[in-house]
Amino acid sequence: MNRRLYVNLFWTIASILFLIAGWQLLASVMNKPALPGPLVSFYTFAVEISGGLWHHFVVSSYRVVISLVLSLALAVPCGMIMGREERVDRSLAPLIYIVYPVPKIVFLPVLMALLGIGDISKITLITLVVFFQILVPIRDAARGINPAVINSVKSLGAGRWDIYKHVVWPAVLPEVLTSLRIASGTAIAILFFSETISSQEGLGYYLLDAWSRAAYPEMFAGIISMSLLGFIIYIALDYLERRACPWKYVQL
Amino acid sequence: MIQAEQKNMVEVNGLSVVYRQGKQEVPALRDVSFAISRGSTCALIGPSGCGKSTLLYVLSGLLESYSGRVLVDGAPVAPLRRETALILQDYGLLPWKKVYDNVGLGLEIRGVTGKERSTRIERVLTEVGLWEMRDRYPSQLSGGQRQRIGIARAMALDPDLLLMDEPFSSLDALTRENLQRQLLDIWKRKRMTVVLVTHSIEEAVFLGQKIIVLSGHPGRVLSIVENPRMGEAGYHKTSAFHALTTELREKLVP
Ligand SMILES: Nc1ncnc2c1ncn2[C@@H]1O[C@H](COP(=O)(O)OP(=O)(O)OP(=O)(O)O)[C@@H](O)[C@H]1O
Ligand SMILES: [Mg+2]
Repeated sequence: MNRRLYVNLFWTIASILFLIAGWQLLASVMNKPALPGPLVSFYTFAVEISGGLWHHFVVSSYRVVISLVLSLALAVPCGMIMGREERVDRSLAPLIYIVYPVPKIVFLPVLMALLGIGDISKITLITLVVFFQILVPIRDAARGINPAVINSVKSLGAGRWDIYKHVVWPAVLPEVLTSLRIASGTAIAILFFSETISSQEGLGYYLLDAWSRAAYPEMFAGIISMSLLGFIIYIALDYLERRACPWKYVQL
Repeated sequence: MIQAEQKNMVEVNGLSVVYRQGKQEVPALRDVSFAISRGSTCALIGPSGCGKSTLLYVLSGLLESYSGRVLVDGAPVAPLRRETALILQDYGLLPWKKVYDNVGLGLEIRGVTGKERSTRIERVLTEVGLWEMRDRYPSQLSGGQRQRIGIARAMALDPDLLLMDEPFSSLDALTRENLQRQLLDIWKRKRMTVVLVTHSIEEAVFLGQKIIVLSGHPGRVLSIVENPRMGEAGYHKTSAFHALTTELREKLVP
């Protein structure tokens, strides 16, 4: 177990070094101010993060995390109920079918006009997108539960609530975490986009501001921060899956 | 009427079941009647698709759309009868619960808590010889061990009616015989009523005091055979045992 951890750590560090080496190579070859090398970028990142960048990092993290939690709280119960209660699903499925393919990002101007340019419009937009990305896989997972499992638990005297608690929830949990991991990438992309439009806070604003001042090392400090945000969320979800679904990680 | 005086644990009269598949109607059972007396064992046998599982679902109360009269312990069958336990072939255990919690699930759902629950779980797990496995997940057990956990979970409820749907059919011959013997031992100690669906003629004769033979599609009762010597030591080695299996085989494959 410990050995595996070290091997994993080794390969993670090796991959990071490989990426940085590639970056350095590209920067040396191109030799343009718009593509500074990793050394100066990380140096600027270190200086900036103890200055103004930290505030933007916190604001962006707050927006993404709140959006993910909100989508989860809405999509998980909805998905489980739609997957299990045929009547609910039949009346809601057409709506989902129509709304799912609509690119929700085009509603940003509407949301900004209605909810202002602060946190709320951004959180609403991200939640709108992530909600559907989680809802559909959870509904399908809940629907796909083997009826024999449901029957055998029913035969133990389980009511509707027991079935949700002991069968449906644990059965969709891995799907929740997987879809969340995929959705977290989308969430950060949408966050970036929404922060670049008439915004005064957040990493997207910081990045675009650096770009408009041609402060390229700062721009890359912003890119590093965004990547770091994505990486932290990804690792957190991975850790959560191991904690929440121990039966999937037992040694066979 | 005092319930304990009911001689028959199960009484089925003119039972018919029709499944609806879109507009089509699939008859699964037609005019099935039989009775099983309290504390006895009964094996249900018949060709694949003849409605054995359906019949068990009706007895467990899970399938409520049937016609005819079905009494369990003198009362019309009810979905949440607390003393009925059902064991299905493969899907009984929840993969996300450890053995201990799987066995305790029925008790948890029925609101049995604390000391009472832990004592009962320990008792039944010890009975099937798997107390050491309590912290494992079902995926870490062999097929035979999983099936024993399924039996333990049912026994934790102290059932007076135990319904089993082909509980041993996915096991290898050696494990199967072992578990058949173990079930027989448990029955001799507890004397609950057992209804066992099987596709093995030998298993039916080994475990059924009464053997109900169903015909194929829709299922009807072809014949009911009494098997009073079931449970006698060494019965499966006698010629009477083999004569009965031959008789049943001829009924099933004319
Ligand atoms: N939910 C269902 N909807 C429609 N038809 C069904 C349904 N369940 C079972 N049937 C049909 O009813 C008949 C009896 O099914 P059942 O599962 O009771 O048979 P069985 O005797 O248990 O078969 P096996 O030995 O293969 O397990 C079959 O023809 C089956 O196709
Ligand atoms: Mg069956």
